[in-house]
Amino acid sequence: MPAGTWYSGEWGISSLASRLLGVVADARLMRRGFHSGTPRPATWAERSTAVPDRPSDLAWARMEPVRSIRYGIQKGLSAPFAEVMTHPQIEGSEWVQQLDRPAILVANHSSHADTPLLLHALGDRVRERTVVAAAADYFYRRPWLGRVVSLWLNTFPFARSGGAQEVMHRSSVLLKSGWNLLVFPEGTRSPDGRLQPFKPGVGHLAVENRTPVIPMHVRGSQRVLPKGRNVPLPAPVRIRVGKPLSPGAGETSRDFADRVEQAVQALAKGSTSPELTGSWIERWKASDKRAPRPRARLAPEAPE
Amino acid sequence: MLALEFSRSIPSYLLMRAAGGRAEVATSDLSLLHLGDVDVPELPGPGWRQVRPLVSGVCGSDLAALTGHASFYLEPLTSYPFIPGHELSGRLEDGTRVVVQPVLGCAVRGIEPPCRFCAEGRIGLCLNVTEGPIDVGLQTGYCAGTGGGWGELLVAHESQLYEVPEALSDEAAMLTEPLACSIHAALRGAATKDDVVLVAGAGAIGLLTVAAVKLYTPPRQLICIAKYPHQAELARSLGADLVVAPAQAYQRVRFATGARRLEGIERDVLLGGADITFEATGNAGSLSDAVRLTRGGGRVVAVGMPGEAKVDWAPIWQRELEVTGAYAYGVEKSTGKRTFEMALEASASLNLDRLVGPLFPLTEYKEAIAYALAAGRMSAVRVAFDLRGLSDG
Amino acid sequence: MARPGAVIEVDRNTPPTLFHYGEGFRLERLPLGSRIVYPPDPIDPIGHPERAIRRALSNPLEDDPLKELLRPGMKLTIAFDDLSLPLPPMAAPDVRGLVIEEVVDAAARAGVEDVELIAAISLHRKMTADEIRHIVGDRVFTTFWPDRLYNHDAEDPSQNVLIGRTNQGEEVWLNRRASESDLVVYVNLTLVPMDGGHKSLATGLGCYRSVKAHHTVDTLLQSRSYMHPPDSALHASCVRQGELIEDAVRVFHIETSVNNHSFPAVANFLQKRETDWTTGDQAAFFALKQVTDLAPPDVKRAAFHSMLAPYGMTGVNAGQVDKVHDKTLENVRRQMMVPVEGQTDIVTLGVPYLGPYNVNSIMNPVLVVCTGLGYLFNLYKNKPVVREGGVVIIEHPCRYEFNAVHHPSYVDFYDEVLADTTDPHEIESRYEKRFAEDAWYRQMYQQSHAYHGVHPFYAWYWAAFTLQHCGDVIVVGGDRATVHRLGFKSATTLEDALEMAEQTVGRWPSITHLRTPPLMLCEVD
Repeated sequence: MPAGTWYSGEWGISSLASRLLGVVADARLMRRGFHSGTPRPATWAERSTAVPDRPSDLAWARMEPVRSIRYGIQKGLSAPFAEVMTHPQIEGSEWVQQLDRPAILVANHSSHADTPLLLHALGDRVRERTVVAAAADYFYRRPWLGRVVSLWLNTFPFARSGGAQEVMHRSSVLLKSGWNLLVFPEGTRSPDGRLQPFKPGVGHLAVENRTPVIPMHVRGSQRVLPKGRNVPLPAPVRIRVGKPLSPGAGETSRDFADRVEQAVQALAKGSTSPELTGSWIERWKASDKRAPRPRARLAPEAPE
Repeated sequence: MLALEFSRSIPSYLLMRAAGGRAEVATSDLSLLHLGDVDVPELPGPGWRQVRPLVSGVCGSDLAALTGHASFYLEPLTSYPFIPGHELSGRLEDGTRVVVQPVLGCAVRGIEPPCRFCAEGRIGLCLNVTEGPIDVGLQTGYCAGTGGGWGELLVAHESQLYEVPEALSDEAAMLTEPLACSIHAALRGAATKDDVVLVAGAGAIGLLTVAAVKLYTPPRQLICIAKYPHQAELARSLGADLVVAPAQAYQRVRFATGARRLEGIERDVLLGGADITFEATGNAGSLSDAVRLTRGGGRVVAVGMPGEAKVDWAPIWQRELEVTGAYAYGVEKSTGKRTFEMALEASASLNLDRLVGPLFPLTEYKEAIAYALAAGRMSAVRVAFDLRGLSDG
Repeated sequence: MARPGAVIEVDRNTPPTLFHYGEGFRLERLPLGSRIVYPPDPIDPIGHPERAIRRALSNPLEDDPLKELLRPGMKLTIAFDDLSLPLPPMAAPDVRGLVIEEVVDAAARAGVEDVELIAAISLHRKMTADEIRHIVGDRVFTTFWPDRLYNHDAEDPSQNVLIGRTNQGEEVWLNRRASESDLVVYVNLTLVPMDGGHKSLATGLGCYRSVKAHHTVDTLLQSRSYMHPPDSALHASCVRQGELIEDAVRVFHIETSVNNHSFPAVANFLQKRETDWTTGDQAAFFALKQVTDLAPPDVKRAAFHSMLAPYGMTGVNAGQVDKVHDKTLENVRRQMMVPVEGQTDIVTLGVPYLGPYNVNSIMNPVLVVCTGLGYLFNLYKNKPVVREGGVVIIEHPCRYEFNAVHHPSYVDFYDEVLADTTDPHEIESRYEKRFAEDAWYRQMYQQSHAYHGVHPFYAWYWAAFTLQHCGDVIVVGGDRATVHRLGFKSATTLEDALEMAEQTVGRWPSITHLRTPPLMLCEVD
């Protein structure tokens, strides 16, 4: 039997009423005490944050449980949607079925649909370990958009102008900690689907880290979701993956960047030369599911 | 005298058209056709005779007029009210059995000199169908002054009359007119012995065209598209080498002509096809098939009376087809003979009685029209009125 | 240990017998005293197929191990059987895919750059990408399609070369790529004794001019039966052609055989004898029967054609063609052979939804004849199960339906040729050439997925011996007009059909029902 009666004690009606009154009083105080739009007090003229905003690289997006949630979203929503909308035709997928060390994936860019389609083309194992470089000044200008995109596509902010050192450094850290990096070296979406000149950053990154580069080419995504439209429409999409390119000994980053650009151009033209798509023996070996591979472990990211 | 009279009435016409060819509407009291006592047509002048019809057929063009599906083009070329019936066998006062060539050209209208077409013998194209002592009209049966086959009596000019040989029955003689149309069409088609000829449709006109083509311009292969089994059997006996169902037309014409067939939307496309196609139904679907079943540079002859039909002109344009009509008869250039004479000769060997029937008295015209509208399903070819009782009594 | 096949006599306690009936079934009560021939149960498959394949490749019969035949810089062509085998198609992985993967792997290790894979379709329809993918497996497909993995084209003059003539004057043609290769590896799947051996290459990569040497009415009439190669004029001709090819090209032959586990778990009762049906099987049959009785044909077809068979591999051999084929036939017979005592007056059989030429397609009336009277009837050794002048009763709906893409020449064969005559000799002499040379059929064969123009003739010739041997053919439950067009008699029930048959074979006939598929080979003495 509980002691006391219904109107007294800790959960009695009088006690509850007084707590409610307390809440109301607080709310009234806050509402009256803080104004917006009124002049600041003269004595506190300067606005400042006590703790400076550290530029976030959204490390949370690459940790559990976000990774599992993302896997679910991509398997359950993105992949079926991509299949239905574009029925993507993927050529050379054996090159990205499994990678024994981190690689830079380079693709042309003509649509916001590129990223989900390319990730779809990668296959589960590689997709799980791929981060996407997304324009910091576009996606991360609005924090909620940045978070949604990071959750869905595992993007990280990539500054297109200014702070090149910083961005290169962060990308290297990601590569070193075992992540593949999907980059669009054109810098922005092509207005008409044709290839635009590549920016040289990819060359630097690859040469500096001795990372192979996998050229990819998407055709048709521009019809799905062109620049300037917000609603995707169904259209067929073809994705070609080329043989990985590695920077040669003594090859400068600029030369290597040119070579990568030529490879993507050749893929766009549909060339099937062995230098580009590999001989059948190379592709056969690349697609060997039985050969045991050292599963790359994700190292903890280097602290700054 | 007793006759079925066709009058002109816009509300009735609209009603018929809305009913979409339903027999009970087309013969109702609101219809364009009425049975009753009408004035006996007067003889317009010398050379005209009175003819008492014996058997008078219900033609597809009559049915089109009744159900409001005839082309507006024909409207100014007709005078109202008229008594329908232009394919008939009849008897003169003196007892001679005759058939009437219904076309009302210069000779009939007493125009001297005749227009250039009548002079050539192509009386169907006569330019003077509005002149002379009788009313406007292309044919007996569409002209107010002459009477028509669906009445007790009509008047005809001597130049319209052809004596029927003893051996020919009244029923077979009645088919002289449509047979003459078909012979005219066959000669306009002018198939050679290397051609593959297609006759689309196996109603009376289609069957008679099969017979005419076989007789006058025998081709390498004669294919007939027939919808109903009795039509298929008749087509075969009249000389078709191959009879196919409409649903199989593309498949079987392709095989017969060694063409290629491409799958299309709604209709297929044949690369190749028949050399000459006779379209003997006059309906839009069949016309659209006909132009696709004919090879490039081939000839399509419209025999059945078409109305205002939606036909895709792209095949005609792309295949450079020669599309030609075949309306009526006169004197055939290729033989130098009159078409009716040729038809009377031809029908001696064709045993055309089997195409005619059943026969109805004029008083049962509602049943007759209903039967004629459903002729294919009822296993009939040409429904006709039997007027022998009337004239004898 | 699997049970061997059996011949059972119908008595009062025998449950009703299942008849295949197109995309459906009928349950019939056979008269007392009738015999039912049941196929053997599936024999135990090889436990580890990949290992067995590797062993076969490294220990071939009368040939060097595959590894030693491969060297860099050589031209290697791998040819494989098309989707007409096995029936129904095998659930992934297909045995041929497993073999091809091993061969390709060996070629990759040896560094053979120039490798091409050709589907030996002969005059069959070209397979679609997905059908090829199913046979060769995903990995081979993505590596080679479409430049180095393709369908043979028997109508492309630049792709076929004349190898020579046999001493009997038969022309031998071969795919150009195969004829120019340093090594041709043929990957076969033998389902019935007719398949495989020299027939694989000589026919599979041949063209009309070489196939017509033995696909004639006379050859087939002299093949008693073509399901038993030693008694088959067809196979004698193939051997002559094959030997000529062996002289011209280095061939490494790989043959596999599978057991007769033809139906997946959902239709397990089809695999069992009616006496063994559990309550579950009975319920499954009952449900399926009701569904197939009610469902429209398209729906039924889609469902039936999606069934894949869980075959197990029973043998794999590599090396010289004849030696390999002997071993394979041994394996096939081990699975299929059923001894049957004496011939009979009447044979009944149900024609199923599937024959060799309508995988993922429609079993049209011509193919009903080919499957029922051609293939199923001819699965005998020594002599047919039905006596000469006896009656064959088949059950099939025989609807007038054709697949316009796959069988354009079949429609015309039915409407033009069969309308004229059903006599194989007459058909052959009057119509075959025209169909074989028709430009449209050729175009459909080359550019679409159509069987060759001449193929319906071969389908009909397959049944030539049956038509000659039997006094009458009665179709139960078929469309009357279609059955008459095929030249047979039509009956509504099996009882009526037996009554009609008695007019041909006399009162109190002996009746034998072939409860097939699963397939079997009746050894009649």
